[in-house]
Amino acid sequence: MKNIRLYPVKVLLAFAFVFCLLGTELLLAVKHIALNPATFETVAETQQLDEKAWSALESYFQSRSNSTGIPAEVFLDSITKEQLRQGTLDSVSSALSYLKNKSDTYQLQMDFTELENAIAAFFENYADENHVEKDAVYEQKVASTIAEAEKEILFIADTFKFSTLYESGWLKKASHYIPALDGIFIITIIITILIGLLLILVCLKNIPESFYWLGISGMISGILLATPCMWLKATDYISGFVVKDPQIFSAVVGYLNTMLNHELLQGILPIAAGILLLILFAVLSARNLEKE
Amino acid sequence: MAEKKAKRPVLIYILTGIFLLILCVALSVIVLITPYEKCKTYLNIVFMDQSMKITPSSGLDGLVIKQNEISTTPVPTTGNSENQDDSGTAQSYYEQGEIIRPSFGEQYAILNCEEIGLSVPVYWGSSPELLELGACQASSSVVLGETGNVVIDAHVNTFFAELSSLQPEAVVTLYTTYGIFTYQVTEQVQFENTNKKYVLPTETDRLTLYTCEAQVLGTSSNRIGVLCDLVSKQFYNPLQDGESS
Repeated sequence: MKNIRLYPVKVLLAFAFVFCLLGTELLLAVKHIALNPATFETVAETQQLDEKAWSALESYFQSRSNSTGIPAEVFLDSITKEQLRQGTLDSVSSALSYLKNKSDTYQLQMDFTELENAIAAFFENYADENHVEKDAVYEQKVASTIAEAEKEILFIADTFKFSTLYESGWLKKASHYIPALDGIFIITIIITILIGLLLILVCLKNIPESFYWLGISGMISGILLATPCMWLKATDYISGFVVKDPQIFSAVVGYLNTMLNHELLQGILPIAAGILLLILFAVLSARNLEKE
Repeated sequence: MAEKKAKRPVLIYILTGIFLLILCVALSVIVLITPYEKCKTYLNIVFMDQSMKITPSSGLDGLVIKQNEISTTPVPTTGNSENQDDSGTAQSYYEQGEIIRPSFGEQYAILNCEEIGLSVPVYWGSSPELLELGACQASSSVVLGETGNVVIDAHVNTFFAELSSLQPEAVVTLYTTYGIFTYQVTEQVQFENTNKKYVLPTETDRLTLYTCEAQVLGTSSNRIGVLCDLVSKQFYNPLQDGESS
């Protein structure tokens, strides 16, 4: 800090560098973790969403059998856990495609051929055994039972509740901004590098000092990111999620916790890098002082 | 002197770091305060369950089903109106009395109707798990003993299978741990599941029992039920001082 005239410039550059680093870290998290199908896949596996979705389906059809008279097995024997797992992953890829403007709509589709045949066969057997006339009412009953079962299966398979986000218009709103993320990310990186280089340039007469400014900026950006994450983690705030349906709770809380862990790591890394640069600065400054 | 000179920059570097940190935190707070204020309500709703941080594994998680001993031949107490029970012991009831409010999932009444041979436990609140165990009273309706609409439903394939055969003037009795409430059927009703006319609160005492319309197979959007008028309220214990009915 030999040249005091440049001190305010260095502070301003460091200040800008902190927020550019922060922006880069956040954009990196959104682009490569939040919107990455692999993140959802990992959550689905670690949280055993297929098992939980299956239990929800089992409990729904067993409970419905009291009012419909249709045994739960009619539905459950024609659906597999693998289908539910695939349904969850399909809902993720459909939502991400919609968010990235690669498709016009969000839609979850599953193959229900076996289910439809099983329901139709059950109704037919029942009608034959009990001499029920197969009229328009009968046909309508079969159709409504199939529609209701398919609707429920799709609802349960969509564990991340993209359908709700789509219907409420949140996905549409987000899809206006997400395609622009790539451009914003590149611009942010360029600005961050430029400010970093400027910081080095203004410290050209005392190169070790640039380590100080880069280090302190990295540390502060890390602190700004890691502190809220640590608070969220320490209070287990995310587990206060109000929807207690096991498959929805696990999907949402699992996803948010994954994001939180990544953000925490992204906050700790610049702190560690900053500390290293500060140590480097201290060592080099001490050496320079000895030489002088 | 040289040592002093060396110490001064160290202090400046430390103070600069702290100053920069304060500056950045202040700017972050200023920038984020408005969005946070906007999102606060939503966040409070979405993450409101801070008291029960358990990972649910089934629909039964968080549901405490409590079974109560409810006598359909009440224990005698002292009071201002006297009756005789089956054993000939004097029983006393109060027209206004103490109500014990149930918690969600608590069995708080037994519904009896001799005309159709019905005797079913009534749970406070409604969920698929409770409907497996008995009839359920909507927690949006009034507790037995309070003035208003008492709404109870059950599955047609189990407890309310014979509800459609309940005729006007039939007597329906509800036994609770705090009193006996007798109603008389006045009307049979049919309505669509989207029609809330019969389950909405009323200003007069009413009991509404309903179930799905029995179908050969599949679900029905039709509901069938009976409306009953209150005949008598018999509380076991009088109102405490300061309480109102």
